[in-house]
Amino acid sequence: MGRSNQRKRFSAGKLLIYLITSFWALTTLYPFIWVLLNSFKERRFIRSNSFSLPLGEAFTLDNYKVTFERFDIFPAYRNSIIISVSVMAVVIILAGLAAYALARYRFPGKSIIQALILASMMFPVFSTIIPVFRMMYNWGIANTESVALSLLSVILPQIAGNLSFAIIVLRGFIQSLPIDLEEAAYLEGCNIFGIFFRVILPLARPSFATVAIFSFLWSYNDLFTQLFFLRRKEAYSITLLLNEVNSQAGVNYGLLAAAVVLVVVPVVIVYIFLQKNIIKGMTAGAVKG
Amino acid sequence: MIKKTIALTLAALVGLSVLSGCKNDEEDNGSGTSGKKGVTISVVTSFGGDDGNRQNYEKAYQAFEKATGNKVSDNSQTSNETWKSQVMADFQTGAEPDVLFYFNGVDSNKLIQDKKVVSIDEIREVYPDYADNMKDDWMGASPVDGKNYSVPVNGFWELLFVNKKVLSDCGVDIPGADYTWEQFLKDCETIKQKGYTPIAASLFEVPHYWFEYTVFNHGNPENHLEVPSSATDAIGKKWQAGMEDIKTLFSKGFFPSNTLTAKDADTFQLFADGKAAFAIDGSWKLGWFTGTDNQAGNVDNIDDFTICFVPGSGERKATDIIGGISMGYYITRKAWDDPNKQKACVDFVEAMTTDEVVSAFGVTNVTALKNGTIVPDDVDSMTKRAIDLMQELTATVPAVQDQLTETARKALFADIQNVVSGKMTAQQAIASALDKNK
Amino acid sequence: MDNDSMIFKKKGPLLVFLLPALAFMALFLYYPFIMNIVNSFYQITGLGNSPEQLNQPWYANYQRLFEDPYMATALKNTLILMITTIVFQVGIALILALLIDNIKKGVQFFRTVYFFPIVISATALGLLFNLIFLYDTGMVNQIIQSIKPGSELIDWYDENHFLFTMLLPVMWQYVGFYFVIIATGLNNISPEIYEAARVDGTSGFQRVWYITLPLLRNVLCTCLTLAITGALKVFDLPWVMFGAGMPLNKSWLTGTYMYDITFGYADVDYGSAIAIVIVVLGVVISMLANRIFRERDI
Repeated sequence: MGRSNQRKRFSAGKLLIYLITSFWALTTLYPFIWVLLNSFKERRFIRSNSFSLPLGEAFTLDNYKVTFERFDIFPAYRNSIIISVSVMAVVIILAGLAAYALARYRFPGKSIIQALILASMMFPVFSTIIPVFRMMYNWGIANTESVALSLLSVILPQIAGNLSFAIIVLRGFIQSLPIDLEEAAYLEGCNIFGIFFRVILPLARPSFATVAIFSFLWSYNDLFTQLFFLRRKEAYSITLLLNEVNSQAGVNYGLLAAAVVLVVVPVVIVYIFLQKNIIKGMTAGAVKG
Repeated sequence: MIKKTIALTLAALVGLSVLSGCKNDEEDNGSGTSGKKGVTISVVTSFGGDDGNRQNYEKAYQAFEKATGNKVSDNSQTSNETWKSQVMADFQTGAEPDVLFYFNGVDSNKLIQDKKVVSIDEIREVYPDYADNMKDDWMGASPVDGKNYSVPVNGFWELLFVNKKVLSDCGVDIPGADYTWEQFLKDCETIKQKGYTPIAASLFEVPHYWFEYTVFNHGNPENHLEVPSSATDAIGKKWQAGMEDIKTLFSKGFFPSNTLTAKDADTFQLFADGKAAFAIDGSWKLGWFTGTDNQAGNVDNIDDFTICFVPGSGERKATDIIGGISMGYYITRKAWDDPNKQKACVDFVEAMTTDEVVSAFGVTNVTALKNGTIVPDDVDSMTKRAIDLMQELTATVPAVQDQLTETARKALFADIQNVVSGKMTAQQAIASALDKNK
Repeated sequence: MDNDSMIFKKKGPLLVFLLPALAFMALFLYYPFIMNIVNSFYQITGLGNSPEQLNQPWYANYQRLFEDPYMATALKNTLILMITTIVFQVGIALILALLIDNIKKGVQFFRTVYFFPIVISATALGLLFNLIFLYDTGMVNQIIQSIKPGSELIDWYDENHFLFTMLLPVMWQYVGFYFVIIATGLNNISPEIYEAARVDGTSGFQRVWYITLPLLRNVLCTCLTLAITGALKVFDLPWVMFGAGMPLNKSWLTGTYMYDITFGYADVDYGSAIAIVIVVLGVVISMLANRIFRERDI
């Protein structure tokens, strides 16, 4: 078999790969493009012809104008970012610590704790929210005048809600890391926390980034908890605003599409930013491995 | 990068807690001097985001703030099940607002039973002029003890919306005050033959209006509000007959072919798009056609649509309608017992229920105002028509479904799809709903 | 699986590692859920109401679970969803991740784009799919009309089509989720192993089967757990598209049914019982799955 022959077959395979992956990319990208296009269309053109381009008389910027006029977008962005970034940060720290312990230590009751964590993944938020509300009200956090406390009242349950997922994912990843590096660090005199921060954290970076993305995302999109705890207009998050636009817009899909675009943009930015970390983690891992 | 993010977040969190500390201090200062300078009252209403009256509500309470120097801490939301459960949870935990705009039917029973709100009589002992622009009989007495607790803003009506273009294309006259069920069935047949959908409704999502009127058609204004004690007593039979009427409409193919799988917004769109002729809906739908201050209506030409009486049958005249007043402002016991807040709450409710404010919230609506609403000169054809119809009423009866508990009501309407599709008899559906009516 | 290395002999630091996370979860998850278990034995007639009296008999709600036809429907649908989730969501994600692992150009682009469906909120996606499957006339029916003019419109939400219409968006939305997790796991496999394999002259498929998949085992087990628990909880997209069991109470899932019972009917105690079924089923099934698939100690 000649060298050139092999290369040719290789590129045919590549072509197939690109075809398949591009097809899937099309299905995932299209809805966003659809939303984006329709956000520039006048309402009456959306229902009759939602799959066309916003050209000519159909084109309008009104949807965005109305959204910005009628809703306080920027404070809502600020609130959302405070909530979701706090949730993300606390979750990755606490879950990272717990996951490391569960991945490496052997101790009595471990399997019970693991089963509990698994079980908590399935607790429907609808069944836990009312006791949580009562508890936080007694602490003076929920249902207060203060915007900061309102935000905190969303942050706390959301952290708890994201921990189980984060621990399970991080534990799976840390377990698959070779232990040699930790042992080497130990022999060099690192204590266990040193090992965690200097060895595990950098090595598991892609996994931490993944967990960070999902915590951010779920916190950001979690309408139900936000609806329950954020009642003051000044504390509204961007997702609550979308919900409000949604109920106000009715069949005004143009307005809704504009709102969706405004909601999605920050998440895409966060994703692209954290995505670089996954890539970096990859190259770092390659060098060390 | 991650470390930086974490550091930033922690900094933000610290900042946050400091900030919240400051906020509390300020508040304490505020309430300390509140005796003289005006107080902050917390208000919960359903005039939240999507409510057509959100703007009117904001205007009204801002005017109140300006006039009195008091502050309103507004926690309004959109009325739905989550909101109701929030309100109830607030009362449960002692986190209730000072003034609440809420339902006056069975939904509020718990508040009255637990003495969480103050009756109008008790308020009038101290403030004799309280709500004196309202007719006492119309304020929406509590089902618990027949006393008034809330001061209403606007009521509602439920009527037949008609697409005039479709009717004229089918050669069907616009229904008048003497419209009968027989004629309605004939018209539907004609319309169906022409290729239109006669009735726009989602029996899956909103069979409520049709249930109310078909049951009404087998009774009269006097007995409409009675709830059966069993599915087979006289009232139970009446309900069965009403549901059978819906089944007839369904089997004749008068509803959209996907009425059991479509959402209300979709079926109503058929009506707006000129593909369907009739739809029953409430006064709150008017704004959907006419638009509001900052939003255009949802139809191109409002003159293509109009409002009529729902066809009558038997003892019910077409001009006997479903309507009434279902919500009002409550002052909570907690606020009433707080000498700092009592007057401010009373002033607030009075300011929110003046003739002008009530009129702004809806000129066509059933109203408790002694003098009626103030009608502006330049109204569109549809609003004009609604105002005219209000002059021809022979009876206004509240919806009997509001006499059922939330659970029973929901169960009943969830079973309508089963009844029309033959999976269940009307009697079974009613029995199962009554079983939950506790 | 556990490690016997010297480092982990001292158990003191365990507390610091575990306590903060567990404390959070105890307060915000376990305590409320214990309340939930207690509630399932009591009669509670309204949201936010406290338990009034013990049910007669105390296990009445659990008895009802077995007699409730909608609950049976919900369990059946959820099981179907679970199986399709594992086969298609994780399957497609794995294939895509393996394919992307083989290319150099555009990796970043694909990774970002595959993630999009999860980014867009369920409200927006529900609306989009409702327009795609709209009866008169959404995208799918428009296409069918243009291929076969004059044919009957298809009601994608009726009894013959609802399962497809409900499962497809859910499947599609979360492929990206598993893709990201699997891709992260793939990154961790060092290229040297592949190099070694290539020198040995193994084919692409052999490499995947004998090297990649075994090395991915832990990650795939995580995906399995997530898929199982996820299926039991699925709520928002089906709720936006189908609401309360449309058509004719055939499309219930455990998640939507629990929500409707609790928040729709304010039947808090029965809702609590359903929540417990969800949790117990999830734990049992995922433990079983893990027992079967989890890597034995090497």
